[in-house]
Order: sequence, then C-alpha cells, then structure tokens
Amino acid sequence: MKIDIREKIQREEASNIGFSVAMISWGMLFASLFLAYALYRFKETAWPPMGFEKVSLVWPTTSTIIIFLSSCTYYLYQKSYFMKQVKSTKFFYSVTVLFASLFLVSQKMLWATLHDSGLYTSSGIFASILHGFTWVHAGHVGIGILAILFVIPSVKTQNIGNEKFRIRMANVGKFWHFLGIVWFLMYLTMFVL
Amino acid sequence: MTYAHGKHAEPKTFLSKYIFSFDHKVIAKQFLWYGIFFLLIGGLMALMIRWTLAYPGEAFPVIGNWLFPETGGVIPPDTYSMLFTLHGTIMIFYAITPILIGAFGNYCIPLMIGARDMAFPTLNMLSFHLAALSGLILLSSLFFPLGGAAGGWTSYPTLSTLVGSPGIGQTLWCMAIFVLGASSTMGAVNYITTIISFRAPGMGYFDMPLTVWGLWLTAILNAIFIPVLGAGVMLLIFDRVFGTTFFLAGAAATSGTGDPILFQHVFWIFGHPEVYILILPAWGIVSDFLSFFARKPAFGAKATALAMTTISVLSTLVYGHHMFTTQMSPLLTQSFMTLTMTISIPSAILFANWLGTIYKGSIRFTSPMLFSLGVVFVFGLGGLTGLYLGTVSTDLYLHDTYFVVGHFHYTMAASVLLGGFAAIYFWFPKMFGRMMNETMAKVHFWGTMIGLNGVFFGMMVVGHAGMHRRLYNPFVYEFLQKLIPINTFITYSAFVMGFAQLPFLWNFFHSLVKGKVAESNPWEVGTLEWTLPSPPVNYNFEEIPVVQCGPHEFGNPNLPEGKDFQYQTEKLVEA
Amino acid sequence: MSFWDSIKAPLDISTNGQEIDSLFLYITAWNVFFFLLVITGLFWFSYRYSAKRNKKADYTYGNTKKQLLATLAIGAAVFFAIDLNITRMSNDDMLGKFWNFPGDEEDTIKVEVLAQQWMWNFRYAGADGVFNTEDDILTNHELHIPVGKKVEFRVTSKDVIHSFYLPNARLKVDAMPGRISRLWFEPTQTGTFDIACAEMCGTHHYLMQGKMIVHSQEEYLAWLGEAQTVANYANDNENIDNFWGWKWETNK
Repeated sequence: MKIDIREKIQREEASNIGFSVAMISWGMLFASLFLAYALYRFKETAWPPMGFEKVSLVWPTTSTIIIFLSSCTYYLYQKSYFMKQVKSTKFFYSVTVLFASLFLVSQKMLWATLHDSGLYTSSGIFASILHGFTWVHAGHVGIGILAILFVIPSVKTQNIGNEKFRIRMANVGKFWHFLGIVWFLMYLTMFVL
Repeated sequence: MTYAHGKHAEPKTFLSKYIFSFDHKVIAKQFLWYGIFFLLIGGLMALMIRWTLAYPGEAFPVIGNWLFPETGGVIPPDTYSMLFTLHGTIMIFYAITPILIGAFGNYCIPLMIGARDMAFPTLNMLSFHLAALSGLILLSSLFFPLGGAAGGWTSYPTLSTLVGSPGIGQTLWCMAIFVLGASSTMGAVNYITTIISFRAPGMGYFDMPLTVWGLWLTAILNAIFIPVLGAGVMLLIFDRVFGTTFFLAGAAATSGTGDPILFQHVFWIFGHPEVYILILPAWGIVSDFLSFFARKPAFGAKATALAMTTISVLSTLVYGHHMFTTQMSPLLTQSFMTLTMTISIPSAILFANWLGTIYKGSIRFTSPMLFSLGVVFVFGLGGLTGLYLGTVSTDLYLHDTYFVVGHFHYTMAASVLLGGFAAIYFWFPKMFGRMMNETMAKVHFWGTMIGLNGVFFGMMVVGHAGMHRRLYNPFVYEFLQKLIPINTFITYSAFVMGFAQLPFLWNFFHSLVKGKVAESNPWEVGTLEWTLPSPPVNYNFEEIPVVQCGPHEFGNPNLPEGKDFQYQTEKLVEA
Repeated sequence: MSFWDSIKAPLDISTNGQEIDSLFLYITAWNVFFFLLVITGLFWFSYRYSAKRNKKADYTYGNTKKQLLATLAIGAAVFFAIDLNITRMSNDDMLGKFWNFPGDEEDTIKVEVLAQQWMWNFRYAGADGVFNTEDDILTNHELHIPVGKKVEFRVTSKDVIHSFYLPNARLKVDAMPGRISRLWFEPTQTGTFDIACAEMCGTHHYLMQGKMIVHSQEEYLAWLGEAQTVANYANDNENIDNFWGWKWETNK
C-alpha cells in the first residue's frame, strides 16, 4: 500500500494538531500552578509573607538570559539546517545543548541562594512556591534536554537539510520555546514583581 | 515514528501481537480486559462497604476470614476507609474510564470515521502501558505498612497530607493518579487528532456518529482538565515527600501558611468536567443506539451534538457547586448556582431528542437497546436529583450525605455502566467475531436494573433522612438508628446487582469461545465499522471509504423493499 | 414506627429549617412531574412502537421547524418552571435567612467551635464577654444552648477538614484549618440532639459525635452559672493548649 499525497498531508497536519493539543495540556498544568500562586498571593496582605525578604535577582536573571539565548540558538540551528550550512548547524546545536544544561546549573545556584537566605522547602508557603514551581519547571527542562538530544541524528553531516527531520525539529523547538516562555512568566511574577 | 497509514507488517509473535501492539483494535481489547478486571475489584469493594453498613461488626461472608484474619473476618474501620477510597478511585479512573474511553474510544474512533489506525499508534501503545503501570502502583499500595490511601477518592488535604495520612499509601495513590493522568492525556491527544485529521473523505463533523461526538468532546475535556488534577496531586506529593506547605494551615488563621481549600478548587476544576468526561461517551452511544434500534434517524442529531457541546462548555464553569459548604463569597456561590441550573436546558434537549427518536420508531428490543433505554431511565433520575444539590439552601442540608452518593451513582455509575454494557453487547460481535447470548443479556439487564435502583434510590432516601457519608457505623448516631432496615435493604439490592453480573461474565467468556459466529453486520446498521468483516482485518480498510450520507439512515421510504437502512458509503436514496 | 416515619428527615428544631424542607418539596414536585413525563414517553413509546406493533418506522430527522421549536419549548419550560424559580427561592432564603447574620446589637449566644480528630471543642466567652481569656467556659462533645435565642457559631479546625453538621437544624458548615466559617440558627424546641462530622476526617470519622442540648431559658442560665463556677476554678490556665480561641469578629 503506497502512501499517497493526501495521506502525507494528513500526517503533517496530524502532527501539528497533536502537538498543539499536547501543548495546551502542558499549558494547563502550568496555568493551574499560576492560578494557585495567584490565590495564595492575593490572600496575603504583604508579599513575601511571614517577614521574608524578596529573593536576589542575580540567578533568576541569569537563568532568564540563558534560556533566552538557548531559544535563539535553537532557532539559528533550525535555520542553518535548512540552508544546509553544516558547520553552523553543528555549532548552534551544540551551543543550544550547552545553554540548556547551563540553565539547570543556574537553577541549582538559585536553590543554593534560597537556602542561604533561610528559605528551605518547609519554611512556609513562600518557600514552597519558589521551590515547588522551579522544580516542576526544571523537571520539564530536563525532559526538554532529552527532546533536544532526540534530534541528534539531524546533525549528522549527511542528514543536514533532510526534510524528514523537519516535523520533529519543529515540535522540539515549540516545546523548548514554550518552556522559555513559562520561565519568563515565572521570572516576572515570582521574582521581579 | 510509526504513522497511521504507513503500513507495517502484520505482527507475528505473541509479544508484538498482544502486548506491544500498535493496533488500535488490540489496544482497545487490552483496555477492555483491564477495565473489567478493575470493575470486579471495585464491585467487590462496594459489596464489602455495603455489608459493613448493613451488618456492622459481623464477619464478611465466605472470604472475610481469609482477607481479615486478625479480626475474625470483620472489616476494621481503617480498612473500611481504604475500601471506599479505592472503590471510588478504581471505579472512576480504572474501570469506567478504561472501558468507555480506553476500550471503545480506541475501538470505535478509527473504525467509525474510516481510518486505518489512530494518528499516533506508538503514543497509543504507551498510553495503555502507563495505565497498566498506574494500576500496578495503586494495587501495590495495599501491601505496604499502614495500607493504601484512606482519605476518600477526593483526597482532600489536610487529611491527605502527613497530618492525616502517614504511610506511603497516599503518596502511591497520588503517583498512580499522576501516571494515569499522563496516560489519559496521551489518549486524548490521539483521539482529538485522529478525529480532526483522519475522517474519511466526505465525512463532515455532523456526519460522524454521535458516539464519536461524545468521545471527541470527552477527549477535549480530558486534554484540558486532566493536567489541572496533575498539578494538584503533584503539589500534594511535594507536601508529602519534600515537606512543602502548599496545603497545610494552622488552627487559627495565621499569615503565610498554605491553604487546604486550594486543593478543592483545583480538584473540582478538574472534577466537575470529569463527571462529563465519564458520561459523554455514554450519551453519544445511547443517542446512536436509540436510533439504530428504533430503525429511525436520530431525532435532531445536530441538536444532540450541539447540546452535548454546550454541556461540555458549561461543565467547566460550574465546579463551585461542590464547595458550597466551604463558605465562598455569596456572590460566587450564587453565580455557581445559576450556572449550574442552566445545564438543565441542554439536558432537557437531550431527553427530548431521545424520546423523539423512539417516537414512531419500529423498536427492536435487543440487549444494546434495552441497556440504552435503561440509561434514559436512570439518567433521568440522576439528572433531576442534581437540582437539589445545585441549589445552595438544600445543599446546606444534603451536602456530604448519602443523597449525594445516590445522585452521583445514578449519573456516573448507573448511566455510564449501563451505557458501557450496551456498548459491549453491541460491538462484541465486531471485536471478537462472535455473538453474545441474548437471553443471558436480558437476565443481566433486569437483574442490574432492579439491583441498582434499589441501591441508589435507597441511598437517596437515607441521605434525605440525614445519613452522612463515609461512616463505618452510622448507627452510633441516635437520629440514624431508624435507618437500619432500609440500609439492610440497600445491601440486599447491592448483592442482587452484584450477582446479576455473573450471567454477564459467563456470557462474555462463553461467547468468546463458543458464541455463534457473527456476520459482518448482525445489527443491520450503516456506520462504517459494519462494512468490514467481523473482526476487521489488520489496518481495517483496504480502500479508505468515501462517505456519502449520515450515520442514521433508517426507514427511508425510497429504499428498495426488504431493506430499511443504508451504509454511510452509499449515496442517499432519493425518489 | 411506620415505614414513612422511618425515612423522614430528622425533627426540625430551627426557625429556618422549614425553608429547606419546603424548597426540597417544591423541587420534588417538579422532579416528579418531569420524571413522569420522561418515563411515560419511555414506556409508552417502547410499548406502542415496538417492532411487533409498528412494522415501519417514521422517516424524519427531527429538524423541521416545528420539531425544533417543540424541543426548545421543553428546554425553556424546564428553565423557567424549575431553574429560575428555584434559584430565586434559594437566593431569598440564603440572603434573607441563612446568610443574614445577627447584627452587633442583637443579644445572641456566641460559641467558638474547634474541630479536631475526633471530637468537638466548644468555647463560650464567659463572664467577661471576651473570648480566649481565663474565664472562658470550655466544653467538649456537649453544646448547651437555650431555646428561642439566636446562636452564632464560629467554626475552625485544628488538624484536618471537618464539617459541623446539625441535622436537626438542616445546617452544615466546613471546619477548615486556617479559616473561620460562620453559622447561625435559632432553636425552637428543647431536647438533646446529635451533632455530627460530615466531612471524612480519618479512621474514626464515624465516632466524631457531639450532643446539642437545647435548654429552656432558665435551665440554660442555671447551667451557665454552674459551668462558670467550674471554669473559674478548674480551667488550667498554665496549659497553652487551652487558649485555642480567637478574638470574635463581628458580622458587619
């Protein structure tokens, strides 16, 4: 049974729809967390509660920059892939993996500073939110790194420019940018404001 | 990645055929076995609960001594809590969901829309394997010290945090639900995509059978709201394992601590749509079957589909009626009440259309039809009794009583189970290539109907008399002592209902090997799956069919003599 | 006891309980009507239009104007006959009665309720009229109130969520750690009645039983005097756990 044009279009469409639905589900997971955060925050008269200080912005800002850069390099990797630029494809891919891992390092540093300022997991709701939400996000970043490694066959020299990795690359990219956006929202609402 | 239409070779080995199969038909059967297995466990638990309520302090018959040797067969209070917790969890997440959504969702969607498989077969396989893992986690929790979860299926903190439930059982419960949620979401992604992308040429959304409509709406609600529950149980796991304080609060209102009520919000934002996640497939199935066996087009099929859609949308806006006793602000409370009430409009349209379908039909009382008519009956009772609970002032009295238990069993247990049985009797010939025994099916139907009405109506009666939920021995209360006889009656009814499942089991397993061999279209129905041999071959359709008419073409006067239906692949006969 | 008596709701001893009972009856009347409508259709059509009696089914999609209007009319009938009326009646009851808490100037009995696994603690302000002081009257399991006077409750919980359930007053409210919920009612009859916990709160949830003793006015004063005397010399003021009360917040 040969695969005709109609089925090929269907497949692509299905992949897009399926991934969009999955992103909506993931979005709802984080939306629930943000809803919880909003309810906690508006219930309190002062934020941070219980006399805690705001968290230093050093590591959160660093994380934001790193994850923003990784999104950019992923975009460049995709672009050079389709322009069949072997060298820059390999370069931008490796840099993306590097930045993605660096993001986890910066999160580790963030947790260390939280501990230094007395915010342990069990120190009340403020600490719970900071820890709990960053854990969930970092967990997803872990999955995201695995997803990026999943497109590693595309950086083989003979594969570069091949159409067959297009959908996979696009979906991994969407997921990674999504995590970047979620982090940016967390950065704004939990650390800056 | 394997795609729906890139045909891979027919599986040969046992493992690739029955365990690691990509075939939606095999995965559907896996979910069916899984669901029936858990249905039996959950049912047995229900009987133990009922036994305790009718005969507090007496040994459970036959297997009591083997299960509870320390107490001489009597169910102890802590075990009783585990029983009702796991009965609820198992029935909702591990029995009804797999049977209606897992099994029939998988089986019917590709066959009824003319696709060769699901959009993402690998994801589909993974979805079942995660469900199996989740079931394993849940059952294993019973064998740890202090036993399984015992905080009710709603698992409200702070009872479900370490304050109220030490031990690993509750943590495992959360993990099991989280894994199952992942599995359901995968299934939902698959169903939604398959229905949008792989409908056969010519099939518009309103040419889909209403079964597919129901499953589609269910999948959409699943994809949106299961992650909300996921977030809730995840925070609960953090509280239990890592010592965070999301749901912990002090005795008096002190600043800066967590809030147990937040879990209730999150739980019911998911939980109310969940009720419709369970019932929507059954509604779709019933709407189809009433038309199939009244030999008449479904009355107002488009209106039925739109009413189901309206209810799905409304279901996302009314969750607050589960929390009237937590004293939300009067404004919120009143809004939730008003929104809840509006659900009765689309429900009334559904009932009008169901009755309109059988009106002036030529009804064949086969077993699927009997069960479908049963759904109309019990859902009528279940839906109407919801009015008492959506009304704030009556809910003040009835909340957390057996009235609630009776009501939601009518809607989600009785209606959905009867719908599930209807589906099993209807698609069994297509799934296994053999017919089930009609006489046995009728015995099963009447036994179940009599039993379940005794149980659930009885529950509403004792609930109105004030008996509250989840009591090991209600009769320590003076005002409940007069209810002993009717509680005993409910228990008798429960045993009737339990024993009525034996003919079903016998019928199912006997027909599997010895049933009459089924023709390709034993029910004379025109939807796409009946154009295939029973059971369908690997990859279903040799040629993707072209759809030319709706799914409910019965009794067209222009049809030739001796034929009262036409296939969806045939052009609508005109004069 | 006749069968009918044995399934009746418990005796109503509050001034407002009848509102809930009558709304229940009102809904029941409509429910019976609509349910009869449905099952009459269900059984009559099943009998009349079985394949035996009606060989040839009607061929209609049910989407003619007339049929759609009929369907909509049924929906509208339900909405106007049931929904709007019930909503209005319930709102009137809630705003006018159950949420209409007594004002500051009213002389009411005030009780703070602390639920814990698995018992009810009650606190009366005592002679000084201020809560959480040394002369507070503390009882557990037993709630004493006088007949014919409004009683106000402030309810919270020490550990898990409980629900303060007074079947004879048709009321319940959740007792939640970290929150204080409110309830009021006025008893109309003397006697001893059950207090129950309606929210699953652990293994011995079923044993979390209290007694509400409604006295006549004189009996209540006598009990209060006695309890005050007991409280004055028996309260253990060294024990910090005895001061679980809080400042009473007024209603308006």
